[in-house]
Amino acid sequence: MQQGNTLEKLPLSGDKLKVALVAARQSLGNIILGKNSEIALALACLLARGHLLIEDLPGLGKTILAQSLARVLGLSFQRIQFTSDLLPADIVGVSIFRQESGEFEFQRGPIFAELVLADEVNRATPKAQSALLEAMEERQVSVDGQTHSLPSPYFVVATQNPSDQIGTFPLPESQLDRFLMRLELGYPNEENERALLTGTDRRQLLAEVGPVLNPEVLAALQDAVAKVHMTDPLIDYIQALVRFTRESPDIETGLSPRGALALVAAARAHAYVESHSGVFPDDVQAVFASVAGHRLKPASSSAYRTPAELSRYVLDNVHIP
Amino acid sequence: MSKRIGTDGSLLHSLPWTLGALAFSVVPHLQFLPIWVTAIFLACSAWRWQVERKRWRLPPTWIRIVLSLLCFIGVLASYESVSGVGPGSALLAVMAALKLLETKERRDQFVLLFISIFLIMSSLLREQYLWSLPYLMSGVLFTMTAWLRMADARKMSVVQSLRTGGRLMAYSVPLMIAMWIFFPRIATPFWAVPIDTSGATSGLSDQMSPGDISSLSLSDAVAFRVNFPGAIPPPQQRYWRGLVLHRFNGRTWTGNDPSFDTRARDDVDYLGESVKYQITMEPTRQHWILALDMPSEWDRNQRIFMASQQQLARMQPVDQRITYSVTSHPSYRLNNQLSRFSSDYYTQLPGNSNPQSVELAREMRASADSSETYINQVLRKFHQEEYFYTLQPPPLGNDPVDRFLFDTRQGFCEHYASAFAVLMRAAGIPARVVLGYQGGEINPMGRYLIVRQADAHAWNEVWLPERGWFRVDPTAAVAPQRIDEGRSGAMFDGIGASWGLDAPSEFLYQITMTWDALNTKWNEWILAYGPDNQSKFMEWLGMDDPDWQKMMLTLVALVILLILIISVLLIMRYRPPPKDEIARLYRKFTVAAGVDPAIGETPLSYFARLTKEIPELAGAADDITSLYLDARYGPSEMASVKALQSAVTGFARQRH
Repeated sequence: MQQGNTLEKLPLSGDKLKVALVAARQSLGNIILGKNSEIALALACLLARGHLLIEDLPGLGKTILAQSLARVLGLSFQRIQFTSDLLPADIVGVSIFRQESGEFEFQRGPIFAELVLADEVNRATPKAQSALLEAMEERQVSVDGQTHSLPSPYFVVATQNPSDQIGTFPLPESQLDRFLMRLELGYPNEENERALLTGTDRRQLLAEVGPVLNPEVLAALQDAVAKVHMTDPLIDYIQALVRFTRESPDIETGLSPRGALALVAAARAHAYVESHSGVFPDDVQAVFASVAGHRLKPASSSAYRTPAELSRYVLDNVHIP
Repeated sequence: MSKRIGTDGSLLHSLPWTLGALAFSVVPHLQFLPIWVTAIFLACSAWRWQVERKRWRLPPTWIRIVLSLLCFIGVLASYESVSGVGPGSALLAVMAALKLLETKERRDQFVLLFISIFLIMSSLLREQYLWSLPYLMSGVLFTMTAWLRMADARKMSVVQSLRTGGRLMAYSVPLMIAMWIFFPRIATPFWAVPIDTSGATSGLSDQMSPGDISSLSLSDAVAFRVNFPGAIPPPQQRYWRGLVLHRFNGRTWTGNDPSFDTRARDDVDYLGESVKYQITMEPTRQHWILALDMPSEWDRNQRIFMASQQQLARMQPVDQRITYSVTSHPSYRLNNQLSRFSSDYYTQLPGNSNPQSVELAREMRASADSSETYINQVLRKFHQEEYFYTLQPPPLGNDPVDRFLFDTRQGFCEHYASAFAVLMRAAGIPARVVLGYQGGEINPMGRYLIVRQADAHAWNEVWLPERGWFRVDPTAAVAPQRIDEGRSGAMFDGIGASWGLDAPSEFLYQITMTWDALNTKWNEWILAYGPDNQSKFMEWLGMDDPDWQKMMLTLVALVILLILIISVLLIMRYRPPPKDEIARLYRKFTVAAGVDPAIGETPLSYFARLTKEIPELAGAADDITSLYLDARYGPSEMASVKALQSAVTGFARQRH
């Protein structure tokens, strides 16, 4: 479309990148109504080169969000529906014997897309889950002794349904740690729901939306994110938050150094998405629940049960320097 | 991959400071040290700097060991000793230079800075000029700054470091003064450092051979300064008696080493009024003490005594600047009686030297009706015949008095004094030569007299029955202005010329005089603060019977008190670091707004809540919030503390 075409001609200066990012955000906002902060978080997650876990009830737009992200960011897209009989080979691919050539040929699985939607990831067996998660971490797969690199950029958006408990295999904490952010979408408000009901079908809308970014611009954006300024007081703040999660009696396991790094990376990306001059405490707070929520384990005696409650409790008890 | 890796260049920003501090501290020593020490120091500094800049490797251990050994041997060879100020400072300077070659990290640089502090202080063992104080203070300041540049991990600007260094030094000034006043001075210090005696001596020579040297250099170095509480005597009376030469071998006049003579003072009848004054004498490394002709009383504290021939001398040589007071009587009568033996002694001349002069003297004496007439005739001869006063007389060779009197007829005081004494002795009149200074220049800034080396003079004393020994200055007969005006005119011609000026410059004269007056005050008030002045001062402060234990206790108590005061001042002065100025402004804003931010409430959420509660503040609060966020969390080039300050101040004023 028009925006995509103009972008290709423009040099990738800081201002152009910002313009592209704003356009991408707008496109996404047109498809997913009333979820501005979630869109900002999802974009921030991808700009920080992180993988995204969307956890919510069915029908709240998880799949649509993943699809529109792929579309708007101009990435190739594959969807893997996780089921209890899914095998690792279904994800990664298999080597097939070709009679005409007399050789094995590797048939790439759906994981070889730039953006992979792993739907209902908790329905598959741990074996299938770990095939995906290992690929996410290593950004490459090994089949029959051969290593195949995954494309770059490479994102995994996984969804899981928290209400189904029977016949599911919830991701263990160590696996959850692979996801930079865990998002909950929640119900739309009245106004947005009405627009949703009366407006064009979302899938049709999605088909009409063209890519706003391309992999090159995305890479430039990711580089720019890593350079977002972070002052001493802000690092003090992040350290104070991390220390609090480790010392609070309400939290059994606090944030690890990797968790703290994730917080820094996500806050940087969020500051970039929000066009802040540096990382503000608001950026840290905005990403805190998504980044820290699935990494914190409440103490059994704690009154704060959900990740959202726990995150709120931490943020409300740490002074901002 | 190379096995040994060069320097990483991490000292690039701090090394110049270390080198500078070292240079600062070594420079006062260099003029006293052998030239190769300077060379080693410069070479090592340059080498180390290149190593850092070009990422070279530091020299291996064996090279450093060999260099150290060589330098040690070099110091031994230059001084034949390793103790004392000279070899000690040479070793220190050389080792500091070599230490540079193994300086790898910050810790090594700290060691170097310690060494430079030590070197700075040790230069006081050599001399304590007025300019030493500001120079050494700036040396210490520079070293402190270097220290701060190195120690402070935060990026401080040079000016900030300098200011901090200056502040630290300012804190130490009261301690310094307290220590200076109260640290017990002991007459013979047990920490005495062997004084460097290898340097050139200046002052009077203890013999005189006119004609051997063919020119007299006019040194404007100060010989001594004199303070007169009363009127300053006129130039004609300013004869500063030094030593007496009485043995003549036809060429050279010599005297005796000073020895205590109990009768010396009793031989003088003091007449007329006395003059009291105080002399501050520059070190000469000799025993002679100068005083106005004729001293009657002198400072016993300085262990001054009167030797035979009424020469003043001191038990120890004058190897430090000393101050002593003397009372003199310009008119006096000396040795009314002269024994037959003495009379013979003072008329002795070597057998066959200067025959023409001896002949001339006998002829002139025969034609004169009295000794006094004869003396006047000789003086008149110098005055009326073609005798010239010059500082560049031709050399005289054998029988110098004959050559001078009959051929060259050019000379300065020594020539005339020598010739006059020979003419007297040949005529049977006891005569001797006195060396000392004549004249001196009044410093209008300080109302004291400066006597310089250029004022050195030689005159005669002759003995006549009834009159005793009395002073005759034959030079005055040749060049009266030499006596009336002193030599200052000539001297300032010299100064002017060296500055490229033809005539003595009034301005230069003013500067020289002011500088000398300052120096005198420095000597008087700072350097003269020795055991006597200290105990006087202690008594004045109300300390009974001051001894070193009492002073030491006072000092310790004072130091503790001062440190307490300074600590309290420092605690009171403490300001949180500047970044918090931004936080302080934001607090001021929230206080003025009247809504307290909650714990963990971000500036943006606080802004949202504030505008909900007090909507009319939205505009100003929006500005302040975004200025605050940029200043505190944005990159430093976006921080505009001033804008935030004016916005917050305006906001606070409006809310009041």
